[in-house]
Amino acid sequence: MKVLGVSYGYHDASACLVVDGRVIAAAAEERFTRQKHDSNFPTYAVEYCLKEAGLTSGDLDQAIFNEDPHAKFSRVLCSSMAAFPDSRREFVESMKAWLGRKLWAVNTISARLDLAPEKITYLGHHYSHAVQAFMGSGFDESAILIVDAVGDWACSALYTGKWVDGKPRVDRLLEVSFPNSLGLVYSAVTAYLGFSPNDSECSTMALAAFGTPRFAPRMREIIKETEDGLYEVDQAYFNFTKFFRGPVTEKFLEEFGPARSYKDNLPFDCFGTPAGVVSKDAQRLADVAASTQLVLEERVLGLCRKLHGMAPSVNLCFAGGVSLNCVSNYRVLKDSPFKKIYIPPDPGDGGTSVGTALYYDAAEAGGVPGRSEYSPYQGVELDELDAVKLVDFIKPEHFHGYLKQGVELPKGSKWRFKTFSDRKELYAAVADRLMAGQIVGCMQGRSELGPRALGNRSILIRPDDQKLATRLSKHVKERASLRPYAFSVTEKDAQATLAIDPEHLRMNRWMQFAVPVEESAKARLAGALHIDGTSRPQVCYVDDNPAYHALLTAFGERFGIGALLNTSFNPSGYPMVTTPVEAMVMFARTDMDALLLNTTVIWKDVEHA
Amino acid sequence: MITTIERLKIRLAVSVELSGKPAKVSEVIRGFQATEADGVWHLYRGMKQIADPKERAIIFGHCLEEESHADAFVRAYKHYGGRVFTPTHYERKALYAGDEPIWKTFAFVHVGEVDATQRFRILSQELPAGALKDCLSNVVSDEEGHVDLTYEMLKRLGATDSAIRSEVRWVRARRLWERWLRTGKRLIDNLANISLSIVYYVFGALLFSAARRRLARGFVTYDNNKMKHL
Repeated sequence: MKVLGVSYGYHDASACLVVDGRVIAAAAEERFTRQKHDSNFPTYAVEYCLKEAGLTSGDLDQAIFNEDPHAKFSRVLCSSMAAFPDSRREFVESMKAWLGRKLWAVNTISARLDLAPEKITYLGHHYSHAVQAFMGSGFDESAILIVDAVGDWACSALYTGKWVDGKPRVDRLLEVSFPNSLGLVYSAVTAYLGFSPNDSECSTMALAAFGTPRFAPRMREIIKETEDGLYEVDQAYFNFTKFFRGPVTEKFLEEFGPARSYKDNLPFDCFGTPAGVVSKDAQRLADVAASTQLVLEERVLGLCRKLHGMAPSVNLCFAGGVSLNCVSNYRVLKDSPFKKIYIPPDPGDGGTSVGTALYYDAAEAGGVPGRSEYSPYQGVELDELDAVKLVDFIKPEHFHGYLKQGVELPKGSKWRFKTFSDRKELYAAVADRLMAGQIVGCMQGRSELGPRALGNRSILIRPDDQKLATRLSKHVKERASLRPYAFSVTEKDAQATLAIDPEHLRMNRWMQFAVPVEESAKARLAGALHIDGTSRPQVCYVDDNPAYHALLTAFGERFGIGALLNTSFNPSGYPMVTTPVEAMVMFARTDMDALLLNTTVIWKDVEHA
Repeated sequence: MITTIERLKIRLAVSVELSGKPAKVSEVIRGFQATEADGVWHLYRGMKQIADPKERAIIFGHCLEEESHADAFVRAYKHYGGRVFTPTHYERKALYAGDEPIWKTFAFVHVGEVDATQRFRILSQELPAGALKDCLSNVVSDEEGHVDLTYEMLKRLGATDSAIRSEVRWVRARRLWERWLRTGKRLIDNLANISLSIVYYVFGALLFSAARRRLARGFVTYDNNKMKHL
């Protein structure tokens, strides 16, 4: 059976092709259009998935969409009417988008794929997340928790999943309805803090580590735990139904102080903020972030307890946008009643195309739990040999005027490259560069699904050098100093590095938990730690990614630990690079020293220019 | 080619619509950023179809410039925008089908460069001193080079003078048609605003209390968890 999963319309459009129960290809549209979180119909992602399998859309047995447009429309209509007479603009703008386009999403899929409407199935949004979480887990049975901003009506949802007679069965226990949304609260606070909502929630999470949760008692009243173990959000503080008026109300501002303009400096540094530079106002904002983060964790834990009471399993599948909060995830791992936690590699909306396609296939054709497990490496793989031919004709002096702001390259530098036939030699050469303190862009194999770079579209540096990490932030990533980096470590060295239960190591394969680092390893990982001594590790197993594992091992032979600071390979404001040329453009404009493109290394040669 | 009417429109826009209105200026800048980023995307696609690495290296340099212009507009935005910069997203569409010769894509890019250069130049002349004026002045000098570069590229890719002239005419007609469509869309948009506002005030008065009750429920009572078809 050939099933195409499609997700689009709000953010992170994506497509996934499943053939006979296995994921053949999956990718986000943003990787092809260079528009971060692209929400448009995933034309190019679909094209890639079909091409990868040598199919056309006419060969598909079914396409499946991750949302019920009619249910979502009823919520949008209801929420804009509820705020009458103050929501005319919200109503008009929403209705134009919905009546003109979004309500006909299933028809659009039918037209774009040239598939008969009966060959298109759609699921409620949270149900899509639930099957997404369950299908890749490999569990026979599990409790399922979904927490995000809002789908159709639900904002949080509890499910159970199990396999019955060779088919998956996912049943709803309960759903908390809009506007009681933990995801929307977090996004509203993100906007209040001067960051970009639906994109920079990670900055709120990072800022939280610099604050003390002195507003937590007040925040607990606003996001109140109810007697039945769930929660309720006091709407007097948020403009969820009147979003043109800003994310939070005057009452919120009276309570927590004025919002931050994004131009205001936040002088925090994850390697240690110099004494005396933090103003009272900046500290207040960090305290608001810390309070929001703490209460979010408490409410997610509350949902876990409630879920465990209703579905007492040792297993938990967790998805939805809030499951990208790696600090909260570690609290769930540490403090919830569940022992094993599965979070899909792309637990947000983009990953629903994968889960729904797997689910449809298994529900119709049958399957077994383990068969539908999938790796995050489902994206495009491109040969670099054609692209590197450019190197001989590239004259760096011609683009000195087009470097990223603040980047200065020595005059007369020249690009050189070498293609290796022996992988061992290749990784030894790259490891030597990393040991020498170089910033190396790494693009190899198939690109990752989801927001985490897991070695195939990564920028790597040695993990102990904070000055190098600061250079990376300033002149390559253009990233605020308050945001920490993460690291990758081989499974062999993971136990000696991470202060976690050995049973939890495998759950840390995809950078989804912010965990404490062993005291003895802190100096060696100093560039990849947050101010609180935690990091978001990727434990790399040889079966998961042999090429990246080999590079980590080669570096470990020189450094003592097979660990590298690993951050996503993307210019600020853009998605991760897809093609070698995109990688070379970023390499050209930033302070990167070398570029690994599959079996070729390109470097900026100053000495021999 | 920018017509006299358009020149007047730009001047009018600067003196009436943009003057002292940073929010409007920031929206204009978002549009410029999106245009530059869109240009890079088309260049990436065009590059894939060119075999000669020397030619590709020229386009590579062009990509760097266009991307740096997009960055420059983001920096300029910070002087006007009250909120953090979020890029405008287009549905990306290839300019030509895969079997069309690649030089046609560059003809499109060339026309875009000519128009953008003229528009940016007039704007930079008309704007009062500020971040956008500085940004545009820098961009214009690069864009002038791009006009020559894209024309040269057309010839290198094998297009004859007469074929270029004919294609440029076709591109201009297409852009004009798209402009008409955008104008029509704006008109429909305004009509939709008026009719939906009427709907809002008529039905909102009748339905708002039911909607509020529905939102106050707290739980999703119906089960939407099944596979559905149209």
